[in-house]
Amino acid sequence: MLVASLALVGLTTFFVPLLVRYLGRFTGYPLAVVFLVSAGLLLVEAPAVLSGETIVQSWQWVAAFDVQFTLRLNGLALLFAMLVLGVGALVLSYAPQYLDPSYEVGRLYTVLNLFAAAMLGIVLSGDLILLLVFWEVTTLSSFLLVAGNGTAGAWAATRALVITGIGGLSLFGAVVLLAVKTQTTDIATVFAVAPERLTTTDLAIIGPLIVLAAFTKSAQLPFHFWLPGAMVAVTPVSAYLHAATLVKAGIYLLLLFSPLFLDMPAWNLTLMTFGLATAVFGAFQALRQRDLKALLAYSTVSQLGTMVALVGVGTSAALAAAALLVAAHALFKATLFMLVGIVDREAGSRDLAELSGLWRAMPITAALTGLAAMSMAGLPPLVGFVAKEEAFYSFLDTPQASWTAGQEWTGIVAAAIAVLGAALTFAYSARIFGGVFFGPLTQRKLYEPSWLFLAPAFVPAVAGLVLGIAPGLLNGIIDRTTVDVGFAMVQSDLSLWHGFSTALILSIIAITLGSILHFRRRWVMRWLGEEPPTPIAPVIFDRIWYGTLRFGAKVGRSAHTTSVGVHLFGVGALLLGLAIIGFAVIPGAGGGLPAMIPGSAQPVDIAILVLLVPAVVFLARTRSAIAALVLAGFVGLIIAVWLLLLGAPDVALTLLLVEFLTVVVAAPVLSRLPVHRDIGRSTTAAISAIVVGVVSGLAVWAFTGRREASDLSEYFLAQAEELTGGTNVVNTILVDFRGLDTLGEVTVLFAAALGLLAATAVTIRARQDAVTEVLGAGERAVLRVGARVVIPLLFIAALVLFWRGHDEPGGGFIAGLVAGAAVAVASIAGISLRIPSAFALLASGLAIALASAFIGPLVGGAALEPIKVDVPVLGSLTSSLIFDLGVLLIVVGLVRAALERLDGLGMDDEDGREGTTEDGSGGDARSTTDQATGVAS
Amino acid sequence: MTLAIAVGFLAAVGTWLVVRGGAVRLILGFILLGHAANLIIISAGGAFRREAPLVDGQLLAENAADPLPQAFVLTAIVITFGVTVYLLSLVARTAKQSTKVEDETIGRVESEIDPATDPASDPASDEQGGSS
Repeated sequence: MLVASLALVGLTTFFVPLLVRYLGRFTGYPLAVVFLVSAGLLLVEAPAVLSGETIVQSWQWVAAFDVQFTLRLNGLALLFAMLVLGVGALVLSYAPQYLDPSYEVGRLYTVLNLFAAAMLGIVLSGDLILLLVFWEVTTLSSFLLVAGNGTAGAWAATRALVITGIGGLSLFGAVVLLAVKTQTTDIATVFAVAPERLTTTDLAIIGPLIVLAAFTKSAQLPFHFWLPGAMVAVTPVSAYLHAATLVKAGIYLLLLFSPLFLDMPAWNLTLMTFGLATAVFGAFQALRQRDLKALLAYSTVSQLGTMVALVGVGTSAALAAAALLVAAHALFKATLFMLVGIVDREAGSRDLAELSGLWRAMPITAALTGLAAMSMAGLPPLVGFVAKEEAFYSFLDTPQASWTAGQEWTGIVAAAIAVLGAALTFAYSARIFGGVFFGPLTQRKLYEPSWLFLAPAFVPAVAGLVLGIAPGLLNGIIDRTTVDVGFAMVQSDLSLWHGFSTALILSIIAITLGSILHFRRRWVMRWLGEEPPTPIAPVIFDRIWYGTLRFGAKVGRSAHTTSVGVHLFGVGALLLGLAIIGFAVIPGAGGGLPAMIPGSAQPVDIAILVLLVPAVVFLARTRSAIAALVLAGFVGLIIAVWLLLLGAPDVALTLLLVEFLTVVVAAPVLSRLPVHRDIGRSTTAAISAIVVGVVSGLAVWAFTGRREASDLSEYFLAQAEELTGGTNVVNTILVDFRGLDTLGEVTVLFAAALGLLAATAVTIRARQDAVTEVLGAGERAVLRVGARVVIPLLFIAALVLFWRGHDEPGGGFIAGLVAGAAVAVASIAGISLRIPSAFALLASGLAIALASAFIGPLVGGAALEPIKVDVPVLGSLTSSLIFDLGVLLIVVGLVRAALERLDGLGMDDEDGREGTTEDGSGGDARSTTDQATGVAS
Repeated sequence: MTLAIAVGFLAAVGTWLVVRGGAVRLILGFILLGHAANLIIISAGGAFRREAPLVDGQLLAENAADPLPQAFVLTAIVITFGVTVYLLSLVARTAKQSTKVEDETIGRVESEIDPATDPASDPASDEQGGSS
């Protein structure tokens, strides 16, 4: 049931775009139903949970680290899960009425659904790593939700992301420490072994990390400022994330990890101090706001502070109060956000200065707001009052906790601050209600919103009333939650009336104070200052942000030079330094260099050198670009021959093909450029050249050819055929043994091709028919006829090389280059081939290569593992063939992109669209940034 | 020994070309440095074994070369090709904008592609209600 509940919400995310297509903004309704069904699946287990059971479901996840995919349902999880799903359902049925028909709802609903799934995952997860993953997903999805569509929310979302991201890293650290110290990631086991395995020092490190994670997520001082900023998000998002779920995740974290810190006074002290400070600060700031949403945001900050402080008190009663407050707050805050949104839609404003007297126009809205505001202010008979009473009881009982050692003043101070907070809360709650709905009605033509719009707000408001009158309904779950957090069973007896107690007196004091603050509002505001002041914390954040960026720019300035020499200088200097160290150390250490094994230099090498050296010298000295290109190709050929002689047939073949393609691709570009004018001092060039040359030459002489075959090469040569079924060991290393590396490498090719396509989005025209222009008509005809013969042969050769690559020299890279050569021949001869566009080839290649990586896991092996299959006619095949196919396509795509963009010749793509026909005019007017389509449009 | 000489020579000339400057020299120097690097890796396998590393039931040749460096170099060559092509595209793009390609144009390309803008550079632009 657990996994069904989570999976239901999670998988629905994939269907949201489809739903949005048909239902538009009304997608909210079916999604709300999904949430309710999911909640129902969990409620099925509720009776068992309430009677003390914990439901656990677990699967293998990452075997190597012994991480399980564990879901567990206890009282704490059930409480929070109901909040997540219940408020979610309400908000989702509110959104369709709130959102503008023109609003882009697809992304909103998808990310909202994803967020809800992740939040549910957090509360249900029974494994530390799983918790962490879900936590980060909520951070990311909340970033997307706050950022919204467009740039308005960008800065606020970035701030929220950075702050909660820091918390996420902090949580990561805590999780890793816990996992390492307790040798397990299962939460229940961690708590079970904690007393033996975790020392006080460990806890002293883990505690602050967890506290940081919770404080950043739950907007405690000094990390609170992202929450008011996040109010730029649309109201449904605010109602869900910032009222009921995202910010509660921090509270959940504190509750979850409380069992570890029961005996650490520092934990309690920190939580109480920061919590109470935040409570008062938030309430204070809320009072000064004019924007209703900002007011509610600060109010949330304040309420969260109270919750944190209650967790920090450290008694069972306080825990129970915290849990109750969590529930009550979700109810009234979500309602208030929704109603503020309704007022905003109906009256057109969220500014208290502009709104007044709306009860005449919308009495029902006023009544619901009144209910919710009363709950927030802590007035009977609402559930908020019950929660506040319990909170007061708990604060008064602080001396009972183990860490306070019976000092009475702790209870008095805590209670006093709580009363202050409650008074301020009453004041701003009254402000909302009174400010919006009472007073003269200045706006005309205001109507009560439709019942469909009001219904989602109606439910929690009335629930607050019902639970206030009969809070005993919550006894069971609250008790269970307290036990889960590691305290003794509390036997809650929640009710509206407990007789005349200190707590009741405190409530009366708070309400009185609050009333004074409200009704003497003008005096109070004059004393405080009318306009909300610029908050300091975000300014500090911005300063740190820009300071970091400026520092980065300063650091990077040294690399902002256009002279290549400066860039290489560091490399050269490092090489020289290493060489000096090497030559100083090595002759002495370990008896000097081992003897050179004979046979490293053979007579044929000298012949190669005799050809190579002059070619390179001419290459360096020539002034003609084409000559340089030809010589470069010649140098490549010589080296390819040498590689063949060195026993590397695959590599030689690759190099030959690459040389050919380089010449073809570079010719049109370089032919227009003279190799002229030496910029840069020749002495620097000469010195660095000599240094690099000498060092690398000496290094090769000193470090190679002095030992026998390595174990690794023996392993590959011995095991290749048996493990992979291929006899070409080099190819098996590429696609089987080191398939992941090759995947990375083809991704680099993909990126280079994309860079090429992007850089040449403004189509480059070298010359049309670059080569054929210089040929006479007869020669052109021969070229075309010959090309028509050669091209199919090349494609066939490519196919053969691809097929036999596993057993003989060949493979995906070589076959791709041969096919690319065919494309190159076609482009030289001016023939157009009907093959897919460069981008299509690249994308499909990468997709196939990635997909083939998952074939292994499907049949129970590892990723990229070669799976042998016996096919009737063709013999035995391995899945690495598919991977090689992906490689082939990417290489062909790269070549195609290069030819198309650099060569200036039109190629048909498979839609039959003509490649650009160019009239030779200079600046191409179509400088559209429609890059990476591969079709030079 | 011969490999060492070749590597040293290629690396020296390659560096000289790159530092000397000019778009074309840059590309040529890059290609030569690529060759040098490939030879370094191949030589790490030991140039005294010069038979192709193919097996068929058992090793086909006594003196089979080390297959691992060959695998590295194979992909390195293709990636060098990709990067060369990308460099060419950059050169072609600047060449389009001016008939002569000089060092400064490379600098011009750099400054075009290098935005110093922070995507959210104006923090005061967004808050609604001024409260944050």
